[in-house]
This record gives sequence, C-alpha cells and structure tokens, in this order.
Amino acid sequence: MSSMKVNALARFLAVAACTAAAAGAAPAALAVPSFARQTGMACEACHTVFPELTHFGRVFKANGYTLTNLKQVRDVTGKKEELLELAQFPPLSIMAQISYTEMKTPVPDLAAEGAPGVAQNGTAGFPQQLSFFYAGKIAPNFGAYLQLTYANDTGTIGIDNSDLRFASAAVLPDNGTLTYGLSVNNNPTVQDLWNSTPAWGFPYAASNANVSPLAATAISGPYAQNVAGLTAYLYWNESLYVEAGGYRSAKQGVTNALTGAAGPLDGTTSNVIQGLAPYWRAAYEYNWSRNSLEVGLYGLDVKVLPGGTPSAPSPLIGPFNQFDDVAEDLEYQFIGDQHLFSVLATHIHESMTLNAAFASGASANPSDTLTTSEIAATYYYRRKIGGTLQYFSTTGTTDTGLYPAPLPGAAGVVTSANGSPDTRGWIAELNYLPWLNVKVSAQYTWYGKFNGGGSNYDGVGRNASDNNTLYLLLWFAY
Amino acid sequence: MVRFTLCLLGAAALIAAGSAARADEPDAAARAHAQHIAVTVCGTCHGPNGNSTQPKFPRLAGQNANYLAAQLKAFRAQTRGDPDAIGYMWGMASQLDDDAIEALAAYYAAQKAEPSASGASAAISRGREIYAKGVAAQGVPACSSCHGPDAHGLQDFPRLAGQHAQYVLKQLGSFQSNMRNVAIMHGVAQNLNVGDMDAVAAFLETQP
Repeated sequence: MSSMKVNALARFLAVAACTAAAAGAAPAALAVPSFARQTGMACEACHTVFPELTHFGRVFKANGYTLTNLKQVRDVTGKKEELLELAQFPPLSIMAQISYTEMKTPVPDLAAEGAPGVAQNGTAGFPQQLSFFYAGKIAPNFGAYLQLTYANDTGTIGIDNSDLRFASAAVLPDNGTLTYGLSVNNNPTVQDLWNSTPAWGFPYAASNANVSPLAATAISGPYAQNVAGLTAYLYWNESLYVEAGGYRSAKQGVTNALTGAAGPLDGTTSNVIQGLAPYWRAAYEYNWSRNSLEVGLYGLDVKVLPGGTPSAPSPLIGPFNQFDDVAEDLEYQFIGDQHLFSVLATHIHESMTLNAAFASGASANPSDTLTTSEIAATYYYRRKIGGTLQYFSTTGTTDTGLYPAPLPGAAGVVTSANGSPDTRGWIAELNYLPWLNVKVSAQYTWYGKFNGGGSNYDGVGRNASDNNTLYLLLWFAY
Repeated sequence: MVRFTLCLLGAAALIAAGSAARADEPDAAARAHAQHIAVTVCGTCHGPNGNSTQPKFPRLAGQNANYLAAQLKAFRAQTRGDPDAIGYMWGMASQLDDDAIEALAAYYAAQKAEPSASGASAAISRGREIYAKGVAAQGVPACSSCHGPDAHGLQDFPRLAGQHAQYVLKQLGSFQSNMRNVAIMHGVAQNLNVGDMDAVAAFLETQP
C-alpha cells in the first residue's frame, strides 16, 4: 500500500468511519439452525428466507432466544423456583460462506506502482467466512447469540456479532403481553428485531474483495465488534417497541501501553468513544392477514476521541468528533405459502461536529452532514427461488479532508477527485435454496456514482462503474 | 350411501371414545400456567385469545377441548402429518405433558370466538349447500352431520365456524392426500373438487 494511500486512510480513520471498517462491517450472517433444534420448529417459523425474520422470529428474539422444546436437565427449590434449565445438547451451529468476486475493472497493483500493472481480478474466498455459534437458551430467562468468525481477509478468528439477552413476558389484564428485557451486545442495531436496520439489513452477504465507498454512517457498522452496549427494551402486544441504552468502546486486539493489559484504553488506541454513546429505538408493527408493516425511528450519538497508534500515540483528551445519527426505517412483509414479498427501507441522517478532525486538518469543515438511503424489495417463490433489488444512495457535505483526492502519483481508487462522499447505485441478487439452510446467490452491484463522481471519480481516471462487482456465493449453516 | 353410513358410524365411535378419554378439569395452577403459555407463546401465531388474524394459523377460540387435546397429542406423537403440523407444531407440542395439554385445550375452549369474515357470494351459497346437504352425486356426505348445523362441532369434532378459509382449504387438501391421515375425513374429502372445497371454506369463514 502506498504511503499516500495510508495517509489518506489514516486521516479518515481519525474521524471515524473508513473503508476498512465498512468492509469489516459487511453483514455477518444470521442463520442459526441451533434455534431450529432448540424450538423443534422449521426455519420458516422464524424466517421468510434466512436471515430475514418473520413476526414469530422477532418475538423469539425479543424473548431472549429462550423458547425451547427440548428436554431439560433441571434443578428447582422447594418453592418451585427454577435454578437450572440445561438442554441435553448445547445449541451449537456452524456456518460457511464460499464466494467468488469479480470486479468490472481490476484495481491497480501497488507492487507495480508507476507501471501499468493491475491486481489479479477474480477473488475466490474459501472460505470467505466460517462461523461458529452458541445460539440459544442459557437459563430460563437468559439466552445468547454468540458468533465467532474466521474471515479470509484477516486470516484470524475473532468475535463477530453477539447479543446476550435477559427477557421475560408478562400477561396483561386484557390478555395482552408486555415483553421486557435487557441486551448486552457488540454492534448497534444487532439487537434490533427488524431487518430494516443496518446490522441485519440487505445485503445480507457482501463481497470482502471489492472496493467500498469512503463514507459510512456511525450506526451502520464502523463500530461493530469494537463496542459493548447495554440496552433495555419493552415490547407491548408484539407491536410497540421502545429501547434505550448506551455503547462504550470495547476494543479487540489492543492493550494498554504501560501495563500490557487489555485496558484501560490509552492514546495508543484510535477512535475511542468518549463516555457512553446513547442509543435509542422506537418502532410500531401492525399485522393483518398475511401482512405486517413496521415503521420506526432509531439513533446513535457517538463522541469519538481520535487517539493514535502505538507508533504515533495521541492522548485521549482534548477535542472530539461527534456523529449524531437519526434514522427512519420501514419494513413490509407479505408471507404466503407460495409467494413471499418484502420491502426494507431505511434513511439515516448523520450530523458531524468535527472539532478534533478540523483542528488537526483531517477534515476541511468544522461540521458536515451525511445521509444514506436504502430501499430493497425481495420476492421468493415457495422459499425456493427469489431475488432482491436494492437502490442505495449516499449524499453529504463536500469535505476534501474526509474524502481526499489522491496525492500526485498515487493509485486513487479509494479517493475522491472532488471531495464529495456521494455514492449511489443498485444491487440485484438472485437466490436459489435447494434446502432451507443452503443458499446459492448471484449478486451484482452497479455504481452510478462513487465517492462523488461518475467518471474519473478518484482523480486518477477510474469511473464509478469500474467498481461494479459480481459476487457469487454458496452460503450454508448447520 | 355405504360410505356415508360408515362415516356416521365412525363419528359415533369417535364421540364415544373421546367422551370416555376426557381428563379431569385442570386445577387453578394449571389453568394459570396454560393461560401464560397460550398468551405469550401460542398467542404469537394463534392470537392471545385464540382469534388468530393470520390465515396460516387456525383460530382456536371456542374450539372443542376434546378436539384440541387430541390434536396436541397427535402433534406430540408426530402422527398428524400435514406440512405446517410438521414445521411448527411437532416441535411446539413435543414437551407438553397431558396436564398441560388438557389445560391449554380448556383455555381455548373457554375463549370467545370473535367474528371472522363476513359477506355473501355465489361460492358462499354453494358452500352452505354442500355443508348442509353434501354432494350426493359425488358421495360426499353433509358436513353438518358431524360438525353440527351451526358448525360448532361437538367434542372430538372440531368447530369450523369462523375458521380461516385458507386453513380449512389446506386441511381438506391434507385429508385428501392423506398427509393428515384421518380415515373419516379422507373419505369425505377424496371426492371433493377444489371448487367445492373453496366454497365450503369460504362459507365456514363467515359463520359466527
């Protein structure tokens, strides 16, 4: 990687979201047969087609993944208080993604800098991702979705999306229900019940061997697996959902420079959340006949200290950058025996106050905005064959610091000629499921605009459409 | 005519067996537990009071307790084999003991069935006729002879009034194919054509 590219990325890292983070936040998959083993119910009870949840799946999640129809090893007190409920077999699952990615135009080969060489096009991922899960009940009101993932880009095994829940449900005098619970999780919206929020939104699987746009909102993944959040929620009559809580940095793979221990975090660590980042969510779901419609709001307000690296430390004091995200979402589902149709949409507006970045020159403006919109329509026939079409758009303030132009002689690709984050395009995906836990997909992403431009977007002659990507995937879980 | 007589004889035998097998009334604790399960677990699909709004899942409010208990036991024993029984109910019923089954059955039997669909059409009129008189030319007996003139059923014979048409239609299909293996209903359904099934289902959905 050229030093110029490193500098550009480093500057962007200092503000918050970066291409690497966005790539790392590519949706890790939710498809867990251990839930089916635990409940004795087929995938279709909780999913239209994995990982999209049905109403029953949402209620199962809100109840802490604890519904079980397995024989239990139990212990009780003389007052019939439950002390222990262990399934005779632990709820373990495995999941694999085998993929092939081909971009319309290869990217430059940095080993041949100054020469016309290009990197090899066509990347096989075997596996792109291999995950192990504990997903199910732990105790009568306590359940877990814990995912460990090997990924081919890091070549290591690390913690993936995880969500521990305490939950219970009360019967109201009118036979209504009030479900209440707590979630401890490591990715804002991973605990959410609908697929219209980022963590479990479309695309459910994406290439990690392509080019990602520079801009991403704080709530859409840059902090995934590097935060710990505690949220509390109420779910009334399986319709009205409210949740509030906060997130704090919980870095993976960093140590305190003085003690060598896992903490406290110091100035050798970058992008550290100051205090607690508040998270909030409100949604209402209406179900009628074969249909359900959800509309909601959610948000996250993150104050980030830029910090530094072991080689270039910077104390965790002084000005910070703030990313205040407010979003709306909508999910519609029609679930018939033959035909299934759903629409997922979300619109995220981010207000950035860049005191630290502006002071250091990493941003050109003291404040910026960023807005992302996504709408996806999915159809399946008998849960066997189907597809999704999604439109996505990012717009925002032009900022030559956050979205920098290439330095003279640099390779471009992950730069912006005009300092604009604007990106838009379409994703079309076709899926075939020979069995409910095996999916074969072909996905194509078209870019009309990328990092601010259609043609020569990077300042080195690359067009947005050069980043169009074909992604073939075999995805299964057991 | 022979088939019709056999059907009635079978029905009488079922009623007698069902009456003899009926368990004691659930005690207060069992009733409270059943209500909690019914509202917080079963209710997600069947509605908290058993008046499901999703046609995939049958309405259970006001259903006859004997019939409900027999079905839950059939799910538990994995002997009821229609697709949704396998996909959903085999698991859900697998750990229910007889007391819980009786209490759940009593809970739903005690719930008030809310009105389902309403309306009038040629299909509904045709369905009413089939329900009351059968289709003599095809050897299909009158549904009312077992399920009662008001379609409220009796003991082992299920209440059909107000049931989702889609659900009734799927069950008739499962009886016809023997995926749901019930000799009496296979005999009834095997000569019903799809149009007649549609008509009967549409009629039943409108019944109070």
